[in-house]
Amino acid sequence: MLKAKSSSKLATLLFVLFFAVALPAGHWLGIVSVNTISLWGRYFCFAIAALGIDLVWGYTGIMSMCQAFFFCLGGYCMGMHLLLKATALQGQELPAFMVWNNITELPFFWQPFNGFVPALLLSLLVPAVVAFVIGYFVFKSRIKGVYMAIITQALALAMYLLFLRNETKLGGTNGLTNFKTLLGLDLYAPGVKVGLYFVAFGMLCLAYVACRKIVGSKFGKILQAIRDSEPRVGYTAYRVLHYKLAVFVAAAVLAGVAGMLYVPQTGIITPGRMDVKASVEMLMWVALGGRGRLKGAIIGALLVNCLYSFCTSLFPEGWLFILGLLYVLTVLYFDKGFLGLLELLFKAKRLKIAESIKQKAKSHQGGYKYSRQ
Amino acid sequence: MQKTESVKPKAESVKLKAESVKQKAIRADINTRVNSFLLLAFSVTLLAFSVKTAAQDSTALYIQQVLHPQEAEMRTQALARLAALQPPAAFPFLAAVSSSSLYLLDGRAVTTGSRSAGQDDRFPIYEVYPGQRQLKDEKGRPLLLPLSALQPVTASRPQRLQLAPLAAVLDMFSADAQKRAMAYSQQGAKGAAHADALRLALQTETDPLALRAGREAMYAVRLQRATDAAAARLLIDSLYQHNGDNATGILRNWAKKPGVPQEAAAYALQQAQRLDSHYAWMQRIQNLFSGVSLGSILILVSLGLAIVYGLAGIINMAHGEFLMIGAYTTYCMELLFTNVLQVQDANWFFIAALPASFVTAGLAGLLLERLVIRHLYARPLESLLATWGISLILIQAARTLFGDLTAVKLPGMLAGGWQVTPHLVLPWNRLFIILLTIVVVIALYGLLFRSRLGMQIRAVTQNRNMAACLGINTKRVDAVTFFIGSGLAGLAGCAMTLIGNVVPDMGQTYIVDSFLVVVTGGVGKLMGTIAAGLGIGIFSKVLEAFFQAVYGKVLILLGIMIFMQFRPRGLFPDKGRIAEN
Repeated sequence: MLKAKSSSKLATLLFVLFFAVALPAGHWLGIVSVNTISLWGRYFCFAIAALGIDLVWGYTGIMSMCQAFFFCLGGYCMGMHLLLKATALQGQELPAFMVWNNITELPFFWQPFNGFVPALLLSLLVPAVVAFVIGYFVFKSRIKGVYMAIITQALALAMYLLFLRNETKLGGTNGLTNFKTLLGLDLYAPGVKVGLYFVAFGMLCLAYVACRKIVGSKFGKILQAIRDSEPRVGYTAYRVLHYKLAVFVAAAVLAGVAGMLYVPQTGIITPGRMDVKASVEMLMWVALGGRGRLKGAIIGALLVNCLYSFCTSLFPEGWLFILGLLYVLTVLYFDKGFLGLLELLFKAKRLKIAESIKQKAKSHQGGYKYSRQ
Repeated sequence: MQKTESVKPKAESVKLKAESVKQKAIRADINTRVNSFLLLAFSVTLLAFSVKTAAQDSTALYIQQVLHPQEAEMRTQALARLAALQPPAAFPFLAAVSSSSLYLLDGRAVTTGSRSAGQDDRFPIYEVYPGQRQLKDEKGRPLLLPLSALQPVTASRPQRLQLAPLAAVLDMFSADAQKRAMAYSQQGAKGAAHADALRLALQTETDPLALRAGREAMYAVRLQRATDAAAARLLIDSLYQHNGDNATGILRNWAKKPGVPQEAAAYALQQAQRLDSHYAWMQRIQNLFSGVSLGSILILVSLGLAIVYGLAGIINMAHGEFLMIGAYTTYCMELLFTNVLQVQDANWFFIAALPASFVTAGLAGLLLERLVIRHLYARPLESLLATWGISLILIQAARTLFGDLTAVKLPGMLAGGWQVTPHLVLPWNRLFIILLTIVVVIALYGLLFRSRLGMQIRAVTQNRNMAACLGINTKRVDAVTFFIGSGLAGLAGCAMTLIGNVVPDMGQTYIVDSFLVVVTGGVGKLMGTIAAGLGIGIFSKVLEAFFQAVYGKVLILLGIMIFMQFRPRGLFPDKGRIAEN
């Protein structure tokens, strides 16, 4: 037991050292390109969102299929700020897509996004409020399990369709793009990209620590109790609604943070990021990495996205086959995900070592006393 | 055979001069007769007679010249003469010339009518001079010929342009009924420009749709000419009762005209108003009908989903892909019938595709159940992810096999629609879908509630372990249920080809909706599924009429969420207190 814990700690340390020191060092030495750095920065954003999903799904047992929508809410908030700054920089009053759509003045809900701090706060607040409203009505009527999955999925679809429209004044199908600067820094400068990478990685570590704290606290224990038997938690006089609502909002905020960090690194946000497919894929990261383990969520998000980049560049036609197969295999055979698989392998190895030690001891003793058959 | 079109203007002009000389001679001849006082009456009759026969003869002559010109210029001149003379008997002929659809068949001048649906490349044939009449074969049926059997007579563009001033009139004599109807409507809208030609055209009109448009135009023309209020009122009433396509426009325009009696104008406006509200009702019924047909497809898809979920606790995200499989089966059947079996009739492939799509999708479902879903029973959330993966694989496979977009030809027997009133047409394909759904629902009801297998299915749905204890082979029941459920989706896919394209991700557009139907209707409830499917289908179409499609969808979703606040277990929940978990 002690051994397992220390090896896990070692792995965590190696993980942090690799991404905080080795990868940037590689970049400064000229081995790793700035694009690779930026790519990993984006993966970290996905991992942050995956942490939120793990809280909601892995620990509380609520299958929410609109996390990608919350991700995009955060992303759009940041995108609106960036776009307004870029427009001001070009000396225009309105973003180009508004001019095309014959909008004469800035819509009221765009106004607060002129300043960086309000935009930052709003990109946390908007997903939180939306999640609160949705969660309140859904949990209050005790919609759960499959019903919850379907309702949130339909919600994600409806919102996706809404964002596709030009009337919502959020750029329609094309989304928001053509960003230039963030806080006066050029988004396309390599230095800024590396900086954003560090911010994303720092945020991921912070989110992980916070989630670990939540999961370890009494609050976290109740969440797990809700997952295992919701009625019993209710019978012992806990307000299940409050707990579920709290964790749902927390996950939405995490997704919002992820989206907010994602947009300046990618330079575009479109409704395509929030369709049903995207939400299911986010669930898949968690399932693949290992549900109910925070590290699993991170590993899953990084792994699937690495695979995606790798496969789409090598054989774009085959990617969906691979992804589909991964879904099926994970659910059928690796219920505990990648992390579970690793543990199983280690366990088997450890058992083997223990066995061989026993064997040795046996041979030392001469092997005449016990034969366990 | 026609001579090659070598240009010999001189000879042509000489001939024309000869022509005019001939006419001058006739006129001179008449003049001399007029001098004779006694023969006045006789000569007047003769004059009328001779001018008429001369006109008829010359029309036939000119038509011969157009058909068999000795040189190209002769055809130009003949057409110019015909355009100037405007002999009514030659209008169908000229219409054929101006639309470049004049042909020769055994020396007779003919043109082609519009193809009816289902016939591949054969057209009905009309003789165009004198007057227009359809050719029949020896059995008295309309003669149908491919274009290759006809010898085209092509007039050049400048030659046809000579007829341009006459186009409005000529279209009324076209062999194409649709074109005629449009030409009539134009006459009605514009007023009395070619009233005589209109009357003449209507005398021989046989097509019911064109006749409707023509009559309306006739009323409109007479209304324009009406002088006193009483006559106008009568015509307004005729227009109202005739209930044509342009009636409101005609009435409103007429009421705006200066010099129209005040009272009659007010009456016209009032009738137009009444017609408008009448049309609005028709539109509503049409929307309702579309809603019902959309609802039927939703029902077909959701029924399978509902019984599978009720039985096995499986959220089958790949259910939409069975719909896609059914649609592609129909497409393959079409290819098989037209390309391999060489069946010309476009009905048979669809009749064969109905059972084929059911069986193919059912077998695919059975395979899926065996390979994957069997291991996921009673793990709904995990099954959701796994089946989503399967749906990704199936969609990509379809894309690799069939490409991005295909379409299935509409079977001839389902083309067109049932015209209840002139403004309410219920398309056959949508009616067929509704009928199919009714049949399927009745069959499914019989299976579930009137057969041994159905009893077993219901038993396993209620309590799997208990049913197994009582000797029901639950695995067999699962397999059969899955076969039926997937098959129903395949059938829905086959029906979908009637109203839309076949694309690899066509199932995805329906899957969320059909899940909503299942949730709203209550899991595993046949009646609930039917009610919810119809409700959601109708609501989304009705809301679409008021808002745009997207907002309609958002509203429906909000409605369902509010509904779930009050009835979290669907429309028809089980009675009694069932403990959660």
